[in-house]
Amino acid sequence: MLTEMPNKTTRTDETIGEHIARAGVSRRDFLMFCTKLMAAAPIGLGLTQHANASQVARETAKARRLPVIWLHFQDCTGCTETLLRTSNPDLGELILHLISLDYHETLMAAAGTAAEDALRTSMTQNAGKYVLVVEGSIPRKDGGIYMKIAGRPAISVLEETAAQAAAVIAIGSCASWGGVASADPNPTGAVGVGAIVTGKPIVNIPGCPPNPYTLLGTVLQYARTGSLPALDAEGRPRFAYDRDIHQHCPRRAHFDAGRFAREFGDEGHRQGWCLYHLGCKGPETHAGCSTRHFNEMPDVWPIGIGAPCIGCTEQKLAFRVPLFHVIPIHDAKPGELYAPVQWPQGKWSAPSAGVAGLAAGALLGAGYAASRKFSKTPGDDSAPGAATGNKAPGAEADNQAEKPE
Amino acid sequence: MTTHDTAGSTLINRWQRGVPVYREPLFTPAFLFFGAIAAVGLTISVVRFFSPLGPFSGMSDAYAWGVWKTFNVMTLTALGSGPLALGMAAWVFDRRKLHVVMRTALVSGFLSYATGLIALGFDVGRPWNFYSVMMPWRWNAHSAMLEVAVCMPLYCSVFLAFENVPLVIERFYHTGGERTRKLLRRVSPFLRRIFPIMITGSYVLPLMHQSSLGGLLLLAGAKIHPLWQSPALPFLYVIAACVAGSGFVTCLLLIACLRYSRRLDIDVLGELCSLLSWLCILFLAVRCVDLVWRGQLAAAFAFDKASLLFLLETALILVPAVALRRRSARETPRTVLNMSAVACAGAMLYRFIPTTIMFDPGPMKSYFPALPEVLMTLGYIALGAMGFIFALKYFAVLPAERSEWNCEFGGMRRGTGK
Amino acid sequence: MSGRITRRQALLGAAGLAAAGAAAGPAEGMEHPAHPEAPPDAVGLLYDNTICTGCKACMPACSEANGLPADTSGSGGLWHMPTDLNSRTKNIIKVYEDPHGGGFAFVKRQCMHCLDPACVTGCPFEALVKGEKGAVTWKASLCIGCRYCEVACPFDVPKFEWDRWNPKIVKCELCYEQRLTKGLQPACTEVCPTGAVIFGKRSDLLATAKARVAASPGKYFEDRVYGEREAGGTQALYLSSVPFESIGLPALDSISIGHYATEVTSVLYKWLAGPIVLAGILGLRIKRNWDRHEAEEHEPEDGPGLPENL
Repeated sequence: MLTEMPNKTTRTDETIGEHIARAGVSRRDFLMFCTKLMAAAPIGLGLTQHANASQVARETAKARRLPVIWLHFQDCTGCTETLLRTSNPDLGELILHLISLDYHETLMAAAGTAAEDALRTSMTQNAGKYVLVVEGSIPRKDGGIYMKIAGRPAISVLEETAAQAAAVIAIGSCASWGGVASADPNPTGAVGVGAIVTGKPIVNIPGCPPNPYTLLGTVLQYARTGSLPALDAEGRPRFAYDRDIHQHCPRRAHFDAGRFAREFGDEGHRQGWCLYHLGCKGPETHAGCSTRHFNEMPDVWPIGIGAPCIGCTEQKLAFRVPLFHVIPIHDAKPGELYAPVQWPQGKWSAPSAGVAGLAAGALLGAGYAASRKFSKTPGDDSAPGAATGNKAPGAEADNQAEKPE
Repeated sequence: MTTHDTAGSTLINRWQRGVPVYREPLFTPAFLFFGAIAAVGLTISVVRFFSPLGPFSGMSDAYAWGVWKTFNVMTLTALGSGPLALGMAAWVFDRRKLHVVMRTALVSGFLSYATGLIALGFDVGRPWNFYSVMMPWRWNAHSAMLEVAVCMPLYCSVFLAFENVPLVIERFYHTGGERTRKLLRRVSPFLRRIFPIMITGSYVLPLMHQSSLGGLLLLAGAKIHPLWQSPALPFLYVIAACVAGSGFVTCLLLIACLRYSRRLDIDVLGELCSLLSWLCILFLAVRCVDLVWRGQLAAAFAFDKASLLFLLETALILVPAVALRRRSARETPRTVLNMSAVACAGAMLYRFIPTTIMFDPGPMKSYFPALPEVLMTLGYIALGAMGFIFALKYFAVLPAERSEWNCEFGGMRRGTGK
Repeated sequence: MSGRITRRQALLGAAGLAAAGAAAGPAEGMEHPAHPEAPPDAVGLLYDNTICTGCKACMPACSEANGLPADTSGSGGLWHMPTDLNSRTKNIIKVYEDPHGGGFAFVKRQCMHCLDPACVTGCPFEALVKGEKGAVTWKASLCIGCRYCEVACPFDVPKFEWDRWNPKIVKCELCYEQRLTKGLQPACTEVCPTGAVIFGKRSDLLATAKARVAASPGKYFEDRVYGEREAGGTQALYLSSVPFESIGLPALDSISIGHYATEVTSVLYKWLAGPIVLAGILGLRIKRNWDRHEAEEHEPEDGPGLPENL
């Protein structure tokens, strides 16, 4: 994937558009990247809130090439790996063209003092302008001696680097709140970035690993507008973390219908039924995995392959609540598929109203016309109809056998 | 001259004489008009019989009873309670003048019940199980619906039919041959012997089922507005039936006199109106006591939709009650017609309102009859009208005028018979 | 003789009527006291909407246990999504959303299996009966489709198959045939994952419900159980955090509707006494007038005739 790795800091005033032109990336490839970005970061991300890829491309091209410093602490490098698992083969290069990745221990070619020099140079040259991406938790116990880089404890590295950053992005659960390293008994005192860094805007992108497009969306928005996406109470971008897995889970219908897999490999499991009773933490886990699967392939995500969600984004769940422990559902919010308490029934019919009205009207009219033919004189026993002059024959004589007409 | 063979005399019940409207063709424009409506209604009914109920009516689970039950049965059989009201007055309370109009009442009553029962037959969803009505061990004696299901067909097909037999016999007697007359002469004493039993049944049964029609609504409980929902519903329903019945007979008589240019019998009309006005007063008295007893007077005058309907139906009964107390009003033909019609309308409205308009099964629920439903309803009514016109012309139904007592069947008579 | 009713005839007639009245006796001895008592083996449901999560597992479980097709008309053929109890839905979860944004509550609706059901009182041929354990069941061979049960039920439970030529009345029967008689509990209570609806003897459920109310005063609406006394008492009991009327449970007083409807008639019609007495009174008067009619038989019939005789 990665051919040339420009491992040098670049001019910070160069736009992405200018840079990719220089790098010879075809417009078609760039448009494809923008399309994928639109799909992956749908709502709430200003950069991609456009009607088509061309507009996104235009907006993105105007973005500055943002300098990014990426620090690794107590991590598994999974978050970096997830960034690389994007199917467009040139995406690695594009990332490096869209941002200027000045320091990345996994990806950079340099090592040793050369790497440290690169870090120092970038910090100096881009002071106050670079975005610091942190992967992995930071050990605090015993003065932070459990992780050292170039002889210095991780805490110091973080504090120093964050001091000059414009914004900090904590990628992965480890950097967001401590992750797997912070599981009981947390021997290293692992914490997330937010526990160490103060006074800087921090975006937490928890997940183990998170979806790479969450990071890309955040970074690009910052590059274009200088603003970070709206965050929730835990510092997570709303556009990716405002819903829980359960709300949009493809297996929700099975949950609603009471079809549960009870054991791995049983009939329900084979049929793809809901994994709630196998310990799925979906109802209490905020993430977008149910709609944005991994590796840009459908069903490549835990529930999709029949493994219950472990709640990897949630500090209260991941690496704390046992994997197959069934959680109670606290936040049962009704969707649109419920019947309301009252439902209208019955409707009026114009044709039948017409016919009935006609009949009633005819009856009333005939009745009125008939009544006019009756005499208003008390005791008048002559045949009615005579009142209007229509004397019936034989009405005069009493004796005559009054055969009716 | 004094034998039963006297032309014009009836074999069974001499007090109820009549004359046919002869020298009138049957297929007049009016008859054909009703015939067309009846044909439409009956055709749709036959189709409905072999189809689900849903598409043919506006009924739904909230309003499970449509106009067939609530109008054709519960309201129009009130019009058919003429035999009940007039019969009780004539045979029990000895108002003798009413005997001359009994046949009109009997024919109209029979047709009203018959068409109502036809409507009911097309309304029930599982008519093939109706044979349970003949198996008393299956009856649920607490059910008002059972009482109606047993009593109404029994009344119509046995008692009311029996009371209409004399006029049928009379016609065959006068237009049939000697053998027919011999047969009828042999049969008639038996009929006369059971006549009082049949008449007694003819009043006990309608008192039971007309009150049970009101009793049906008791089980609906709070779904019916409190102005109507009351333990007195059955009693009021019976009185309303009598009001409607006597008013309807009066109207029919007057229309017949208009149509066939017959002289009026002011005495009889006066008697009918007197009966009607007392029934109206009785109705209003019971209604008033009922409302006061249940504390609903304030609701009656709240001037909301319910109150206005109540005031309307009460006014329609109050006006005739008051107007017809004056003797001169009772002898004025136009007043008699108008007041009878108004009283009919008021009684029908009283019986209809709590079944549909003031029946409230819950929010957002409504009912309006569908077009096939209305056409079927009108078809049954038209069928009844056709039957009545036919009866007037083929049987001696209308009251005989004094000079007509010895009348012959005119052009219809065949054979000797004198 | 002519026209006179003999004493023998009168006695036979009265005996016949009385026999008919006896044959149509009360349904299995069921009277209608104003406040009926539950049969000792009465079972029921207790539904607590503070526990219900609206998962709707009870709905397909009910459909399956009763062999009902899914009602997918509202969802374009996808989900079982009825809008109300209907001829394909014996059990439904509905949601009430507070219009002022104060939250929401679920409610499970099905037959209430009243202690003195109005539908049973009204059904002319006992197609609806309250059977063992108090379950109200419907029998096709007796029903004439008059739909009186729909008019009578204060909870609007029985539903008619308007779209079928051989229409049934469809309503929850506590899975009587297929589960209760085999010692199983109804499908809905068995499948409920949270225990929002539970099955048991009515007396036990009532005690449980009252214990819940006592344990959390103020949590449940009016601190009471719906169905304890409504319409004389029902075997489906409800605990709700929101007003009962908001979730569609009507406000009913504690007198059984069957009692109200049969209060007067049960006295008048007992052994057909009322009609027989009435027939006797009327019959005597009518006989008197008829005798006069018959007496005129031998009088001359000439001239104008009738008016003079009257």
